[in-house]
Amino acid sequence: MKIKIKDRYQTILLIIILTYSLFVGLVNPAFFSVETLFDLIRTSSTSLIVVIGLLLVMISGGIDVSFMAVALFGSYTTIKIMFALGINSLIFAFGVSILIAGLLGLINALLVNWLKLPPFIITLGTQSLFHGIMTTFIGDKSFGAGVLPSCLNSFGQATIFSFQTKDGKFGLTVSIIPILLVGLITWFILYRTMLGRGIIALGNSEEAARRIGFNPFLIRLFVYTYSGMLSGLMGIIYVTQVNALYPNKLVGEELMIVAAAVIGGTKITGGQGKIFGAILGVLIIYLLNSTLILIGLSSSWNDLFVGAILVISIAVSSYQERIKNRKNMIFTE
Amino acid sequence: MEEVLSVRNLYKSFIGVKALNDISLSIRQGEIHCLAGENGCGKSTLIKCISGVYAPDSGKIILNGHSYSSLTPAQAIKEGVQVIYQDLSLFRHMSVAENIAIGKMHFENKRIINWKEIRKIAEEQLEKVGVSIDLDQTIGETSLANRQIAAICRALAQDAKILFMDEPTTALTKKEVSRLLNIILELKKKGLAIVFISHKLDEVFSVADKITIFRNGCKIGDFNKEDLDEKKLSYYMTGREVEYPKYIRKCNDNNVIMEVNHLTRKDHYEDISFKMRPGDIVGLIGLLGSGRTELAMSLFGLNPAQTGQIKINGKVVKINSPMAAKKHGIAMLPEDRITQGLFMDREIKENISSSIVDTVTKNKVLIDRKAENDIAKHYVEELKVRTPSVETVVGNLSGGNQQKVVIGKWVATHPRVFIMDTPTVGIDIGSKAEIYEQIHKFADQGMAILFISDEIPEIIANCNRVIVMRSGRCIRVIEEDELMMPEAPKLISELISNNAEREREEAVQ
Repeated sequence: MKIKIKDRYQTILLIIILTYSLFVGLVNPAFFSVETLFDLIRTSSTSLIVVIGLLLVMISGGIDVSFMAVALFGSYTTIKIMFALGINSLIFAFGVSILIAGLLGLINALLVNWLKLPPFIITLGTQSLFHGIMTTFIGDKSFGAGVLPSCLNSFGQATIFSFQTKDGKFGLTVSIIPILLVGLITWFILYRTMLGRGIIALGNSEEAARRIGFNPFLIRLFVYTYSGMLSGLMGIIYVTQVNALYPNKLVGEELMIVAAAVIGGTKITGGQGKIFGAILGVLIIYLLNSTLILIGLSSSWNDLFVGAILVISIAVSSYQERIKNRKNMIFTE
Repeated sequence: MEEVLSVRNLYKSFIGVKALNDISLSIRQGEIHCLAGENGCGKSTLIKCISGVYAPDSGKIILNGHSYSSLTPAQAIKEGVQVIYQDLSLFRHMSVAENIAIGKMHFENKRIINWKEIRKIAEEQLEKVGVSIDLDQTIGETSLANRQIAAICRALAQDAKILFMDEPTTALTKKEVSRLLNIILELKKKGLAIVFISHKLDEVFSVADKITIFRNGCKIGDFNKEDLDEKKLSYYMTGREVEYPKYIRKCNDNNVIMEVNHLTRKDHYEDISFKMRPGDIVGLIGLLGSGRTELAMSLFGLNPAQTGQIKINGKVVKINSPMAAKKHGIAMLPEDRITQGLFMDREIKENISSSIVDTVTKNKVLIDRKAENDIAKHYVEELKVRTPSVETVVGNLSGGNQQKVVIGKWVATHPRVFIMDTPTVGIDIGSKAEIYEQIHKFADQGMAILFISDEIPEIIANCNRVIVMRSGRCIRVIEEDELMMPEAPKLISELISNNAEREREEAVQ
């Protein structure tokens, strides 16, 4: 079996991650531990979920920068409802948040389809719009640990594979289960269903997709709604992990997720992107985030490194494109 | 043979313009039918009516015995109508196999994807056309010729009974064209009806059984291949005698404007030397991949040469960017006007002034809109661009008029050397004649023109010297007196066909 270029790109990412980890481990042997790994998964779990939703949108040729506002809207509103009705049920929390966020995603899809404007502008607008509606009409108070429904905190603390170390009990967050489920379901949609191939087809060429009978409107409806639903899921997981409800967190961090998707090899122009690549993109960012201190650098180096990786990864793919163009006697510089 | 498609008295108009005027047509199994006509004659509209994109105003379309007054795209596919558009409508980042199979799988309403089935479908179709290509490559990685084959296979996968191909050979090399034509003949033997749209008359004649000619939305008639020759065909298409006048150099100035000595760029071309005087139209003929475009790019500062020298007016110059080329009075009409020649979304006047925008100014700062307008009007008139106004967006013009805008844009810089890479590709006969006429006029005024083409009659009619290129080398220079001889076309064609044969042998080895 021949190794394809795109797969090679992911291999390079993986090698970068492993080399960097080895380097950190040599400087600071405390890095090599199961705790580090479990911790990395826990801190990156929310981003891993939304990057997958974003990935589908980007493959379809669109982009979504409203998903953090959608996540906040969904989780905040759901928990306010739970306060009002005195409900203490995880299923309710997840279900309602996914439903609300899915509806907001649907609104994004309809606007993108009706206005025929670049989705970046539209979702930039809805990001502020959704957040504004929430803080104006639903609430803008923060809630601390004591008042939240108890089921949330117990989910946030729950672990699997837990074991005892000298520093206390350690375990893998249960949030890994929704991540795996989302990854698996999305993989199935993308590679095993006509809908998934339609998403890729749409991102490659809308005209060509239409000509063989795909309905671009329905495909867009699906990807933005799906991205919304994953945001709703993520919103609740975020609340369970920080064990508090803030009206102004998350929003503002969406571009970091976009960067992760691009570092993972997703084409900004659509039509191409891999789930595994996007996951690696997120992991690189979180790995840097959590290890710079271990190798003696202040956390302000974080932005520098993330920025550098993003620019380099874009430069590499643009260089490959240019080589290809030159072969066809197209000069773009 | 059985009749697959019959069109009866079809009418279609757009905002008062009759695009189809009482069109009747019949196409049988195992027949290669060619639709010929200038741009805007109604061929495309007819195909769109048959494939269900447009609903005709009146008339009947009968497919396999079922009569329709209008079709949906799904009905058309069900009746076996398949159209391969000029852009091929393939998906760049998907594999060849998936591109071939996805149409069929989507049409059959498959919701779950089975990759083995995709492969099987793709392999079956490739077997039908008797070609093997790498199924795992993405479309972006495969050659243009293979993309064309993938598009055909996709149509076959959907049980095509009648296959429309819109200008399928435009971007192919001669060798690839003959492979494609062989495939088409093979499919014909299997009983497929093929409707071929092409501007290239030699291709029309080499494969078509029947030729239907359109002009201004009307059908001029159905002809058997034997009853037509190129001259008659172009007469019926344009409604007038189109005679390409032979260019004869009248310029008396024999000072060399441009001299190229031993120019080399490894793997592109080697040791190229030639001279151009005012009024010279030097033909550069060679197959795609012979190095002709690569050389032209170098003269214009793209793809710079590694060794050798270029002299302008006797002085050695270094041309390593298009800006430098422009400064030395070199202009270039690129092969692909859509991506490289024009700003398709902008107005004619903006396109024309784009090459001289630094001079169309008030006080060197603000753009002088009136001067811009006047310059554009001047060239639109001089080059006979058919447009309602200079404010028309270039993308809305026909191919021929677009090309005239590209020419106008460069002539506005008053170049001394004009490199034209296949200036008449995809352009109808009428506009072609006008473009030739303009080129001759420029040459008479003292411009030197490098005319790149792979059409022999075009080269013979327009050039007073011809350079034949093959595998990056200049294999022959044909001078004016030799070009005037009646056997010149045969000579060039032999040089080329010999080469083509040799290349094929090399490929086999």
